[in-house]
Amino acid sequence: MPGGGGKIEHDRDACVGHGRCYVLAPDVFDEDERGHGVLKLASVPAELQDQARAAAENCPEDAISFQPDDAT
Amino acid sequence: MSSHTNNPPEADSDSINFYDPAVAAHPQPVFRRLRDRCPVRKPIPGVAVCLSRYEDVLFALRHPEIFSAVMPAGLIGNVRPLIPLNVDPPEQTKYRKFLDPLFSNKKMLAMEKGVREIASNIVDRFADDDGCEFNTAFAIPYPSTVFLQLMGLPADDLDHFLSLKNAIIRPDAEDPEEQAKIRNESGEKIYAYFNKYLDEIEKSPRDDLLSLFVTAEVGGERMNREEILDICYLFLLGGLDTVTSTLGCMVSYLAQHPDRRQALVDDPALIPSAIEEMLRWETPVIQVVRTVVQDYTIGGVELKKGDPVTLVLGSANTDDEQFPNADEVDFERMPNKHIAFGSGPHRCLGSHLSRLELRVALEEFHRRIPEYTIKPGETPVYSHAIREVTYLPLQFGKGQK
Repeated sequence: MPGGGGKIEHDRDACVGHGRCYVLAPDVFDEDERGHGVLKLASVPAELQDQARAAAENCPEDAISFQPDDAT
Repeated sequence: MSSHTNNPPEADSDSINFYDPAVAAHPQPVFRRLRDRCPVRKPIPGVAVCLSRYEDVLFALRHPEIFSAVMPAGLIGNVRPLIPLNVDPPEQTKYRKFLDPLFSNKKMLAMEKGVREIASNIVDRFADDDGCEFNTAFAIPYPSTVFLQLMGLPADDLDHFLSLKNAIIRPDAEDPEEQAKIRNESGEKIYAYFNKYLDEIEKSPRDDLLSLFVTAEVGGERMNREEILDICYLFLLGGLDTVTSTLGCMVSYLAQHPDRRQALVDDPALIPSAIEEMLRWETPVIQVVRTVVQDYTIGGVELKKGDPVTLVLGSANTDDEQFPNADEVDFERMPNKHIAFGSGPHRCLGSHLSRLELRVALEEFHRRIPEYTIKPGETPVYSHAIREVTYLPLQFGKGQK
């Protein structure tokens, strides 16, 4: 698959601080004071696509959505 | 597939009993039967309705306005509800806003050096022996020592602490009335224990968690003594027993699966994802309880206001609908949205502490003891409800020594 970037969104209201995102995608997510995830960037560059996807797929609250640019 | 009825089916001849130690040792096939036959059912007549599918359990955990975590006091020796576990949003949120930062991933990682020292010192005690009984030798003292240090309580109180906790969780009696008596007596001692320290700390605050409880503002005002005690009571039960149980389940699994153990020894970088997968597969906290606070239909079953409900986390975590090849333990499973720490507003407050303790323990233990098995001729013993491996005899080395 060609390595494009993508768009990532994080629902702060649904987040309860499992912390999977900033552990699995440290270049995409930061941790706030409560241990909740915070997006570092709105648009995900190609080299961080795998991290962004891992964060979205592993969030137990389904609070993260990732839309890769190369999705048809 | 199961057919749905309007009333929760009662227990059948193939009754599912989580209080059976044999079930606690190998619960996964029982979970499968539960999900396949009646995902919403009454496993024991007169006892709670049981939700066993990932989807249903997740929904209940995320909707405290339907499935409330508020519980009457007294079931575990307490005279008031535990904070924040038995308080729902919005009131619960003010406590979590105060407590979450104290147990954040960053705060816990900052403790790693001290936690590693505790783990390493405990392994030192038995690393040169032929084997150990893992629960007594490591799984019990390790998280308890970490906890006392974190709270700012004297390490010498360890045995007293453990006896108070054990009397609540596993009272040494068969008769329910006798059990309640033991729990209540221990509960009084727990309040007295913390009261004594809180009195001292109020006079001269220190640099520890209890001091922070006394001085910090929560929702704009200082907590009163009862609120602080209700948090401490929960910490004593949640902070010690769950990590002990989880470690026992994991090391027991690894002792019985030499190829998996070897994989962790060969590549310790695999430990974090292996922990996630063993949390999923073993799910030490099999179940949590909630009370229905408004009539609601789930899985085709009508629940009435006031119905107690058991959410079977262990079953949710082994549901094929959510986890492809759920019966396969894959240390590199991806994705892995297990809910061993729950979901929704009551997500385990100590999950980051737990993950730190588990990782450091598995790293330190395997660094010193890369080879071990269950002692030949012996069988690990599991307790019910919270799956503590109360007897886990290990033999170190490749085998005959």
